[in-house]
Amino acid sequence: MARHISLPRFLFALAAVLLLGMMAVAEVGEVAYLGEASGSDLPGLGEGIRAIPMCDGETRLIVDVPGVSAGEPMPEPVAREVAGLLWKRYQEMQETSGEILLAHGKEHTQREMMIWDTELKRVVDEGYRLFHSPELGSNGVSCDMCHPDASNTHPETYPKFQTQLKKVILLRDMINWCIENPLEGPKLNEDDARMKALEAYILWARKGVPMEDGKH
Amino acid sequence: MRCSRFIIVMCAVLAVSSPRLQTSETGNAEPFALDIPPEILPPIIPDDNPMTAEKVSLGRKLYFDKRLSADNTVSCATCHDPRLGFADGKAVAEGIGGQKGARNSPTTLNAGFYDFQFWDGRSVTLEDQAKQPLINPVEMGMPSHDAVVEKVKGSEDYPDLFEKAFGTREITIDHIAMAIAAFERTLITLDSPFDRFIAGDNNAISESAKRGWDLFNGKGRCNTCHGYVESYPFFTDNKFHNVGVGAKNRQFDELARRAEHESDVAKVSHETGASELGRFLVTKGRPDIGAFKTSGLRDIALTAPYMHDGSEPTLESVIEFYNRGGETNPFLDGGIRPLELTDEEVGDLVGFLNTLTGSHIDRLKEEFAGDME
Amino acid sequence: MERVSRRDFFRLSGIAGAMGLVHWIRPASSPLGIVSLAHASGSQLTFAYVSDSHLLVRKGYDKEHRFTRALKKAVTDVNSMSPQPEFVLFGGDLAQLGLKEELDLGKGILSELKPKLYMMVGEHDWYHDMGEAWKGLFGEDRYSFDRKGIHFVVLNSVIVEDYWTGSKMTPMERMLFMAQLDNPRGNPFTVGPEGREWLKSDLAKVSKDTPVVVFSHSPLYKYYKRWNFWTDDAAEVQALLSPFANVTVIHGHTHQALVNRIGSITFYGMLSTAWPWPYAPEGLPELTRQMDRADPFNQFDGCGWGEAAFSQQGEADKVYNLWDREPMAVFYKDVKAGAIPGQPDRLHSGSSY
Repeated sequence: MARHISLPRFLFALAAVLLLGMMAVAEVGEVAYLGEASGSDLPGLGEGIRAIPMCDGETRLIVDVPGVSAGEPMPEPVAREVAGLLWKRYQEMQETSGEILLAHGKEHTQREMMIWDTELKRVVDEGYRLFHSPELGSNGVSCDMCHPDASNTHPETYPKFQTQLKKVILLRDMINWCIENPLEGPKLNEDDARMKALEAYILWARKGVPMEDGKH
Repeated sequence: MRCSRFIIVMCAVLAVSSPRLQTSETGNAEPFALDIPPEILPPIIPDDNPMTAEKVSLGRKLYFDKRLSADNTVSCATCHDPRLGFADGKAVAEGIGGQKGARNSPTTLNAGFYDFQFWDGRSVTLEDQAKQPLINPVEMGMPSHDAVVEKVKGSEDYPDLFEKAFGTREITIDHIAMAIAAFERTLITLDSPFDRFIAGDNNAISESAKRGWDLFNGKGRCNTCHGYVESYPFFTDNKFHNVGVGAKNRQFDELARRAEHESDVAKVSHETGASELGRFLVTKGRPDIGAFKTSGLRDIALTAPYMHDGSEPTLESVIEFYNRGGETNPFLDGGIRPLELTDEEVGDLVGFLNTLTGSHIDRLKEEFAGDME
Repeated sequence: MERVSRRDFFRLSGIAGAMGLVHWIRPASSPLGIVSLAHASGSQLTFAYVSDSHLLVRKGYDKEHRFTRALKKAVTDVNSMSPQPEFVLFGGDLAQLGLKEELDLGKGILSELKPKLYMMVGEHDWYHDMGEAWKGLFGEDRYSFDRKGIHFVVLNSVIVEDYWTGSKMTPMERMLFMAQLDNPRGNPFTVGPEGREWLKSDLAKVSKDTPVVVFSHSPLYKYYKRWNFWTDDAAEVQALLSPFANVTVIHGHTHQALVNRIGSITFYGMLSTAWPWPYAPEGLPELTRQMDRADPFNQFDGCGWGEAAFSQQGEADKVYNLWDREPMAVFYKDVKAGAIPGQPDRLHSGSSY
């Protein structure tokens, strides 16, 4: 006959057993971290073993995903676990290596950053030019007449229900509406470089400007 | 938008929109489910007038009852006739003795969904609206609401029906209006060829109508006031705009200027043609001079002639009116301007408007055929 | 999932989509036009203004331009004032690009005004040809006149330091440089030393208790430099005006309802007929009750014209005749007291609910 055990103690023990059991089950038959490999020196992968590329494009995370055959997409709960492992490893590597795990494992170069800034400036400047030009319309009105310094554009509030269009829209839809209505011009295709430039300027100009309902 | 269907679960919708079923008023009355798809915002039903089957059938009887007029010739249905799109096909309403009013009869269809009733929006509920034609001398011409109540009391058929609907044989003008409003709320038409097109059936409307729909939302600039929104597909912004209809009457400009400077609105309201001042007479606000309610567009093909004075005979002439930029007057809404639509584009817009007729119309006509006797 | 009735939904949700237009408050009482005001305060004189029409004549654009339509609307409105004002002031920026065609068009439209017309120049009229066409059509850019015991001065307050000679700009380049409100490289407006000298000698003939009204295009104070809502020598000009018992400055350029008071000087901004400017991010005078932002669907929203009524002492009440909105009246007594009453705090646009 078992030794008499009080109810609370029994329940605690039961909970502990279940918890441990769940943890054990989680490791066996579920996703398991097996290690990492870089470059092309990959071990021969067995059934249910996958090599997932990490953010640096070189290292691969080797995981055991039993029950999922090669080429088969992982079911969502499994994929989430793998993603969790990737993230955990990324954070650990950042802490230990002191390096930013970026494309090709290298910091941005001066050249790269110059190019990005120059390209952004080019598009924003083109947007600025279009914004201040009557060329988008037919009646000489330009955007900056009502929106000096892109005031009153509030790009951060989109998507929203726009009362003039009677539907929920994005910034580019309102730009087109303004081109067609106050500017009396033809609307731009969404993939038109000019539309991108206008959006770029507006978003850039209004970054960090606080919202004041009904005011500028 | 789905096809119509009887959904018991609509009771849940009603239960929320009219939170307290007043059992003291309605006794053991059965709640009445309105047939509305769930994605559409339900009509606003006053808390004290929840829908019941008994109210609806009583209201129906009252709606078609000519005895509610002074000479027993005019009922609600005279000007809001199921055979004529629940309007009357006339430019302005004609009441007892053939007297003409100043305004075009709006349709009762879907009226329950609007925030305002009458062209000047002076009523906010169907209940309030129903009371007014009864005592309007050029409409139903009863001398007072008490007289209406007396007449209704005096007939044999009503007291029982009122007891069933309101739990009392004491007939009041409020109960009369509440019953009529309850009936009117059931007059819903939603399943039109346009709705089916929106739902994905590309063959539901013609190519011309599809172009018309694009124009409606684009070059025609219609949608800013007559907007279609999925959750509120009634083509009205529930606002009031001066598009210049009243200014076709040359005296309007002078009247409007007087209204602008006159602080005593009552004084101006007695001038000839004062009803052309529209919403201003209700709000006394200067932006409302000559402004009238944006009407809904469902079933618009059925309710010619158009505008608050019935001055536009066809849909085509309405579009042409807007194409010209309305009628210039000192208070013309700044959103109105010449549209430069081509003849083909005008035709496309008309084609689109013709697709807004609900499929329920014929059923409703049939259903009420007998009541029109 | 709870379904809420439409009314409840709007009561519960604080937001309503687009342009913040939903936060309107219906004024309990709104004066309908200056007529009632003028008679109430026993005014000495009432004048009307029309300003900032920015007319555009564009090749290939053959229909009536919206700015033309708006200026004509203002003229019709002024002509239907009852009683008629003593005179009408045009507040500057008649043309958008200062072209002769634009100025001619403007002169033609304004010639339909029934009351006497006084013209003031704005930078858009001036910098294409440095005022040559303007002077030919309208005369001197600075002058004064007296009416009913009030001394009126019209200034040219849009003088800027030369930015065009060094960079060899063409006339149109010079104009376009000036026309862009948010041009970060622009020079600030001034009345200038010559202008101030002229003003000093003009005012020398005026007794200190004569009411003085100064018309200038730019605000004669410092509001927002980046948009040239600014007069750089404002302090010097104000010093010339402060000895007078009652001075009112009426200015254009800002395309918005604007009220300020500095010392004994009241400043009222004029509306534009063409388009409204947003309020600047900083520098807004405290006395101003801001207009709600305009609805771009409605070309008249946020635009309009105005009137001012003066008492014998030169105390000025102002009415902003905003199109498609309730008119906004500002009373001298409130300006002097330093607090415009709270209602309407915001003006609703379009028709009322």
